[in-house]
Amino acid sequence: MDLVGIATGKILSSFSVFLFLTILLLAVARRISTSVLLFSLQSAVITAEVLATAFQEKLAEAYVVGALVLVIKVLAVPRAFFLLADKLKTVRDVKASTTPTQSVFIAAAMIYLSYAAVHSYGQAMHVPDDALAAAVSLILTGAFLMVSRKKALMQMLGLLVLENGIFLAALITTFGMPLVIEIGIFFDILIGLLLMGIFTFRISDTFDHLDVSKLRRLRG
Amino acid sequence: MLLLLPLAIPILGAGIVLMFRNPRVATRAALLLGGLEIAALGALIWQVHVRGELQAGRYLRADGLSAFFLMGIAFISSLVLVYASGYLRHMGEGRFTSPRWFYALVFIFLFTMISVCLSANLGLLWIMMEGTTLASALLVGFYNTEGAVEAGWKYLIVCTVGIAFALFGTIVLYLAAVKAGLSPDMALDWLSLMNAAPGAALDPHLLKLAFVFVIVGYGTKIGFVPMHSWLPDAHTEAPTPISALLSAVLLNCAMYALMRYDAVVSRAVGPAFPHTLLLIFGVMSMVVAGLLILVQRNLKRMMAYSSIEHMGIIAIGLGLGGPLGLFGALLHTFNHSVAKSLLFFSAGNIRHSLGTLRIDGINGMSRTLPQTSAALLVGSLAITGLPPFSLFISEFAILSEAFTQQRYLVVIPFLIVLSVVFGGFAYHLFGMLCGDPVRHPENARLIPSEYIVMGIAAFCLLLFGARIPYFFGLLLQEAMAVLR
Repeated sequence: MDLVGIATGKILSSFSVFLFLTILLLAVARRISTSVLLFSLQSAVITAEVLATAFQEKLAEAYVVGALVLVIKVLAVPRAFFLLADKLKTVRDVKASTTPTQSVFIAAAMIYLSYAAVHSYGQAMHVPDDALAAAVSLILTGAFLMVSRKKALMQMLGLLVLENGIFLAALITTFGMPLVIEIGIFFDILIGLLLMGIFTFRISDTFDHLDVSKLRRLRG
Repeated sequence: MLLLLPLAIPILGAGIVLMFRNPRVATRAALLLGGLEIAALGALIWQVHVRGELQAGRYLRADGLSAFFLMGIAFISSLVLVYASGYLRHMGEGRFTSPRWFYALVFIFLFTMISVCLSANLGLLWIMMEGTTLASALLVGFYNTEGAVEAGWKYLIVCTVGIAFALFGTIVLYLAAVKAGLSPDMALDWLSLMNAAPGAALDPHLLKLAFVFVIVGYGTKIGFVPMHSWLPDAHTEAPTPISALLSAVLLNCAMYALMRYDAVVSRAVGPAFPHTLLLIFGVMSMVVAGLLILVQRNLKRMMAYSSIEHMGIIAIGLGLGGPLGLFGALLHTFNHSVAKSLLFFSAGNIRHSLGTLRIDGINGMSRTLPQTSAALLVGSLAITGLPPFSLFISEFAILSEAFTQQRYLVVIPFLIVLSVVFGGFAYHLFGMLCGDPVRHPENARLIPSEYIVMGIAAFCLLLFGARIPYFFGLLLQEAMAVLR
């Protein structure tokens, strides 16, 4: 086996460390722009993992998926976020309900939890534990960001992180779904973000703020 | 071709309606396109009945179950389109609140729901399920008031996260299928999954994991407690025709998706695991929603909780299984849709005549708004499951199945909730219908498009209570045959 082959074979497990790094940094990030950049970085790591899988398994379709991830999640979505934040003239703070120290401890606990959860599955499916744990902890972190950050933009970002986790889980366990389905899922994400963008405009128009924790007129 | 037509009409129709700036012309165009769509769906249902199954390409298929749900979609959406044509005259003229935008979004919404029922591939089904959320979010926020924006945002976020869990479940199912040796292209095809299921080739642990995620995911869309938080807000804040569509069609579509997964998992690992989960969610939704109906102050909100309660009843029917349980569950999806759209239509009339939906702000309606009061009364009697209305039949079927299986843990809460809900509806309705009218409506008379659809719905409730029409019964049998 040549050197490239060995390197790509190891990427899935070794790149997990970068994903864990973005998770911990997302937990401490105080600014929306930092969080968006971290998301972009995280998606870049996932792009590398998709391309490595495509190379190793000789899947032509996976190259297309990799290109889609690169264009949409690494470039287009962060760009759209910056534009949106600019147009909304929102405060840059993420308005976290937990302090950075608490957040990083929670994120670390979630990483530990993910390792514990996937341990039995990983061996049964011949999938590196690290990669599976990274996927699960991305899902958990995404959910955590959604509940602990009050800004509408950060909820959208949390959703994207969660979706990254699901995407990664699909990639490492099954080398991705059929191409048509993947494209459909990407299309849904794009439309979903577009709609959420429209709604953030409406929220800032009708309420003069973007703090979704203050949206609590409807209860019971 | 026959499969593509019902998909092509609404998606092209959305574009066509948008071209008409004049509200009246846009409304007429929408009604015409809606009529075409119903005809196309009717032809499709008939062909499925004659040939048993239709397939177009690898991703589209219609079988008995799809035909049954498509019939519900066709019936309810035709009522809603006609009702909306009259309702929209009340709507203010804004940038995006003109009838043409309304109808265009409704057609896109219909497109996604019809595609859910026509998807042969569970991956495509997921995409279209997410599509329903996206298509309807703007409709929920259509009025652009504070409440509508909040409800729309909540709806979008809660359902997207919920559906993301369903995607994870679908991926796990895909993994199980690929491991069992299905080719990646066919691994999410429902029919090949059903064929692969009995041989125990699918890993039971993975299937159970998949079903847990799917029931939480699509359960969010169905409105199972405790994932129901979006549902009352969205139903209350949306324009009334949309509330009817959400409650009577969208929830059924999500239930349809869950039925497909349930059939695969039940066949592979036995019905005990998925059916127990369905029973737990069903009973929980029934009990919590039933109690919350009592304390509601807004009429539409009360009806939204009643939808959660009825989705619980359907889940219980599915979870019990057996011939009567499944029969009751499928019949109940249709009956509930009819009764709930009748109720929402009357709520829409009340809102426009009296300007409020607060239950304690309405008195003596039976004198000032006799026709609407009659519709509200018929709808409420039907929805609480009294004979001679059709919901009595389906609830009775589910209950007798529960008695046959001696599931007293299901029967007892079921009966208690039914009586509590009846009490709640009676209490709220009594205050609204009787007494001296405080406010006098501006225009008490209904226009033809309103009383015709309400009459049809009420007639349908009575008819199905007396006797299930022959062709409907056939379709129901065919749908049950698909699941078994």
